[in-house]
Amino acid sequence: MADDEFRQQALQHLDALHNLAVYLTRNGSEAEDLVQETYVRAMRFSHRFQPGTHLRAWLFQILRNTFLTFYRLRERESALSEDGVPEGEAPMFHDAASRDSESSGAHMDLDRALTKLPEEFKTPLLLAEVEGLALEDVARIMDCPVGTVKSRIFRAKERLRGYLKDYK
Amino acid sequence: MANDVNGEHEDDGGMGRLLRERLPRHPAPPVLRAAVVETLMPGRPRQSWWGSWLPPAFSAVATAMIMLLYLAPSLPSAPGTDPVQLVTRAVLAEHARNIFWGQVRADVVPAALPRAMAESGVALSWVFTGDEEIQLIDAKPTYLEGRRGIELTYQDVAGHTITYVIVPGGSVTLPERGRVQIDRWRPVVKTENGFSLIMWRQQGLLCVMASDLVSAEDLARFKQYFVKVRSSTEPYAVY
Repeated sequence: MADDEFRQQALQHLDALHNLAVYLTRNGSEAEDLVQETYVRAMRFSHRFQPGTHLRAWLFQILRNTFLTFYRLRERESALSEDGVPEGEAPMFHDAASRDSESSGAHMDLDRALTKLPEEFKTPLLLAEVEGLALEDVARIMDCPVGTVKSRIFRAKERLRGYLKDYK
Repeated sequence: MANDVNGEHEDDGGMGRLLRERLPRHPAPPVLRAAVVETLMPGRPRQSWWGSWLPPAFSAVATAMIMLLYLAPSLPSAPGTDPVQLVTRAVLAEHARNIFWGQVRADVVPAALPRAMAESGVALSWVFTGDEEIQLIDAKPTYLEGRRGIELTYQDVAGHTITYVIVPGGSVTLPERGRVQIDRWRPVVKTENGFSLIMWRQQGLLCVMASDLVSAEDLARFKQYFVKVRSSTEPYAVY
């Protein structure tokens, strides 16, 4: 794939990447950093991309790997108190609590419920149901078998149902 | 509202639809889009107008510089700007005058030499006055290309005139080209307009000897005269 063509196609997936980044980081500026780092890495390793394969899935994979490498590590560090001892159940990501008071709409409940999902449940759910990726692509992104992806999506939905009942 | 939501996801398909329809999407803000475009296509707008011209222009300039460096040594130097060449021509003009109108002064050592030193600004601690082959016949102050100096004239037994001019050297640098080892010195030896010249720097002064000894045999003799003069004359600038 020619460089120009690769760049043009990569740019088409910017909104989708940013959307997933927001749900992963729960922070606007961190999401932007994550997306930008994703594109920097994509350009650096563009020679590894195999033409004919799914560019969108490849970019999602880079984004997720970058998130796991840097952002979760940072969250883990910030969850430590000054003496280095973990402070119990520190939230992994910023909670959307402040926004709850602004709106009681269903999407806000859904949004908040989604924040409670662990990343390994949330990401396949969003990729498959929101971004419309095939389970095979999701499995490649998650680096696990398709069966595991199905299982995680099923469990994610179950958990969501449970969370949403809590908002009755 | 939560009831409404729960009602929509009783089955898997309902939950998927709920996520697609109700979950807010977060499109990339313009700032991020601009940053990503810059990451993907750095410097793209600028390349559209000068990017295509820069490589050939750079190549042309580089070629011109290489050609200039290659041809520069063979290009004729401007006579008006080369101080060595200017002094050379002035010395030859003096030498020509000495050949045609020079005269032997019997009082050169006791009278002409002290007066020349007093008026030229160039004094001589030691001076070669002559031997059985060559004799000092005149000494006078001179003025060459804005430099005040002293001019000594010798004549050998065969009647050849040798003009020896000493002027302040200033910033004149003698070229490496044309240097010849003569005894323990390495002056510049050159031929110009049918005359031979030997040039060197000594005590901050520029010394030039000119003669009409140009054949190989005569030039060897001229070099011997140089050795005699160079080893027995010690000029220094008074000012």
